[in-house]
Amino acid sequence: MKISHIPIIEITPDSREWPELLNQLKDPPKQLYYRGTWDAALFEKSLAVVGSRRMTGYGQRVLEMLIPSLVAEGVTIISGFMYGVDTKAHQECLDCGGKTVAVLGGGLDVLYPPENEKLYEQIVGAHCLIISEYPPDQQPQLWTFPRRNRIVAGLSSLGVLIIEAGEKSGSLITAELARKLKKPVFAVPGPITSSACAGTNKLIKEGRAKMVLNTGDIVSSQGLPLRTQEEALKNPAESNILDLLAAEPLTTDEIAHKLSLNIIEISQILTIMAIKNTIEEENGKYYVI
Amino acid sequence: MLAKILSVAHLGLKTVPVEVEVNLSPTGFPGFSIIGLPGKEIDEAKERVKTALANCGFAFPTAKIVVNLAPADIPKEGSCYDLPIAAGLLRAIGAIPDRDEEGYFYGELSLDGSLRHTKGVFLLALSAKENKIKNLFIPSLSANEASVVSGISVYPVTSLKALINHLNNIEPILKSVKTEKQDETEEIPPEFDFDEILGQEQAKRALEIAAAGGHNIFMIGPPGSGKTMLARALPGILPPLNEEESLEVTKIYSLTGNIPPGGSLIKVRPFRTSHHTTSRIGLIGGGSQPHPGEISLAHHGVLFLDELPEFPRSTLEALRQPLEDGVINVSRIAGFAKFPAQFMLVAAANPCPCGYLGDPQRECRCSPRMISRYQSRLSGPLMDRIDLHLNVPAVKVEKLIRQSRIQADEKADLTRSESSRQIRKRVEKAREIQNKRFKGIGIQVNAKMRNKEVKKFCEICPEAQLILKQAVVNFHLSARAYFRVIKVSRTIADLTGSDEIKPEYVAEALQYRTRFEN
Repeated sequence: MKISHIPIIEITPDSREWPELLNQLKDPPKQLYYRGTWDAALFEKSLAVVGSRRMTGYGQRVLEMLIPSLVAEGVTIISGFMYGVDTKAHQECLDCGGKTVAVLGGGLDVLYPPENEKLYEQIVGAHCLIISEYPPDQQPQLWTFPRRNRIVAGLSSLGVLIIEAGEKSGSLITAELARKLKKPVFAVPGPITSSACAGTNKLIKEGRAKMVLNTGDIVSSQGLPLRTQEEALKNPAESNILDLLAAEPLTTDEIAHKLSLNIIEISQILTIMAIKNTIEEENGKYYVI
Repeated sequence: MLAKILSVAHLGLKTVPVEVEVNLSPTGFPGFSIIGLPGKEIDEAKERVKTALANCGFAFPTAKIVVNLAPADIPKEGSCYDLPIAAGLLRAIGAIPDRDEEGYFYGELSLDGSLRHTKGVFLLALSAKENKIKNLFIPSLSANEASVVSGISVYPVTSLKALINHLNNIEPILKSVKTEKQDETEEIPPEFDFDEILGQEQAKRALEIAAAGGHNIFMIGPPGSGKTMLARALPGILPPLNEEESLEVTKIYSLTGNIPPGGSLIKVRPFRTSHHTTSRIGLIGGGSQPHPGEISLAHHGVLFLDELPEFPRSTLEALRQPLEDGVINVSRIAGFAKFPAQFMLVAAANPCPCGYLGDPQRECRCSPRMISRYQSRLSGPLMDRIDLHLNVPAVKVEKLIRQSRIQADEKADLTRSESSRQIRKRVEKAREIQNKRFKGIGIQVNAKMRNKEVKKFCEICPEAQLILKQAVVNFHLSARAYFRVIKVSRTIADLTGSDEIKPEYVAEALQYRTRFEN
């Protein structure tokens, strides 16, 4: 699929799709161009994930750890399509079947950075969004990237998460924008010896960002219960298992017998529950946490 | 008088033609010596040959007798040179005619002149075919081994006397004919059938997955939970050996003398079990003359190691290379040998030294330190080569009886245990899918996939990927463990007949992740 063959759609503040979130900006864009599938639900639980273009191995591991569970919580990942943290955040999200929105610093027909051609196609193919406020053929300029950041911050309903940022990183601009918009700013701490984490560590130290150690720090800070736990209670098999285990710890075979379910189904359910942290296994027996 | 007889020497699984030269010299001090690096058994052959000849009515020649086993620089062992030496002597004294092109002589003599079942005959027959030797003179009890090889004439020799009569055209020995493959249809029932094992549904499912994908499996459970019984039931759900596998197994069995008299091709998958006092060489193979160990005897079959943490560390670590490569290289001064060792490892262990950790009935008497010491005997790299880890819980006896009655009454169709035969059908189907997938790559089962093949053949849909990635974080999976889960998911997909790895397969596979971590 050639990118140029995919239609570009333009929306203005008068359009039905126009996201309400953007009107909170001091200088909202006059129009937006997008490729992909517009769905207002994308922005209901959206989180901007930004960070250094020069991502280290640490930043990569942090993303591999946090993004899957964010996706499991139904969070849309918004980022800037730049290399480093942005690219990894988009990619990781797509790999897990999550929803992502990329906000470009140039026009939609200008593929920048060029290495991300495949990612571009993947985002459109996964019914996600690629957005820009600039006309399709506008080349990205030094000044367009910081402007782009206000849209990234503006579209996120849960706040902005900064993964790795040096002391003068552009991500700090996004953090500042979010703060002005009164949106929560989250930062992942890093080694104090690493210059790649100097910016994020400083944000935490000065109390301008909330420290994030796991997904729960982001999702439940909004007063939202963890979706995965909520779902567990709604699922009849899972709530039956929770009831059984509340009385006594049991082995897989015992649970299967008591619920008259076959061992394959039970195994699958127990794994999912253990991943959601509703139950725990030790020496072959399951316990409620 | 000089006579030359052809025979062979075994070097590992390789067979080298040997010329047995017998020289009788009337001058000189009478004596009998064998040269050409003979082993102890060959030295003793002198007495057997002497007595056997005497008991067949030949006066042993009073002369200087020298037997040379050429090539002289290859060490030789085994009792198989009795017959060639005797034949050489007989030819030297003119009791049998001196003709060339005759063939290989091979076999152990009894003192009365009859021939005994000798190991290595199958390898001898293969070598005869390769070297275009037409005739084989071998003990009649071993003849079935050789007759499966086509294109050679096998003469089953019962005694020296019969051989002399045959070679002098007095009373010819009838050629052994290839025994019909009648035993192929008949099934040898396994020691335990799966439907005899009550409860342990998860363990049975794990064994089914292990059998389907050739995965190694590790069972942890208190004494009496049925680990050994489960392991012994495993051969019953493995597909039968195919022709090529059968040949490979028969080679090793023939070399080690594991084929019974009258036996021929091995068609049943080997199930070998080793006690923890087994020496490293006994398990892995070796010796001053390289010999295959238990792991090679379990080639294309199952090796069951009970009480795994009781094995000496050095023995267990030596398992790592063969587990990875499927072959074991044995290098000794006497020579170098390569033995195949593609086996499924089934290991079992107690959860702690006393065995009752987590048992509902009995208190565990071990201190945390003892438990951690016990578990750390199993090294990470070894555990990393085992794809399926599972807990086999203790089962209360009353419970078993009661539950089996309920099963029979109420939910007969839902939970009644399946028979080994039913399970094997599914396993065979899954193996067929794998055979097609790996055609021409040189691997047979999912367990043998390297990272390259995992990337190529294990496409994981995004939802499954999500579960896997969360599991990596929540269950602290290592990179190796991650790949193992994918391989097991692939096998579960094959058992279901699905091309794609769906989230539920990954979820099930995660049940069998490593737990005995150190």
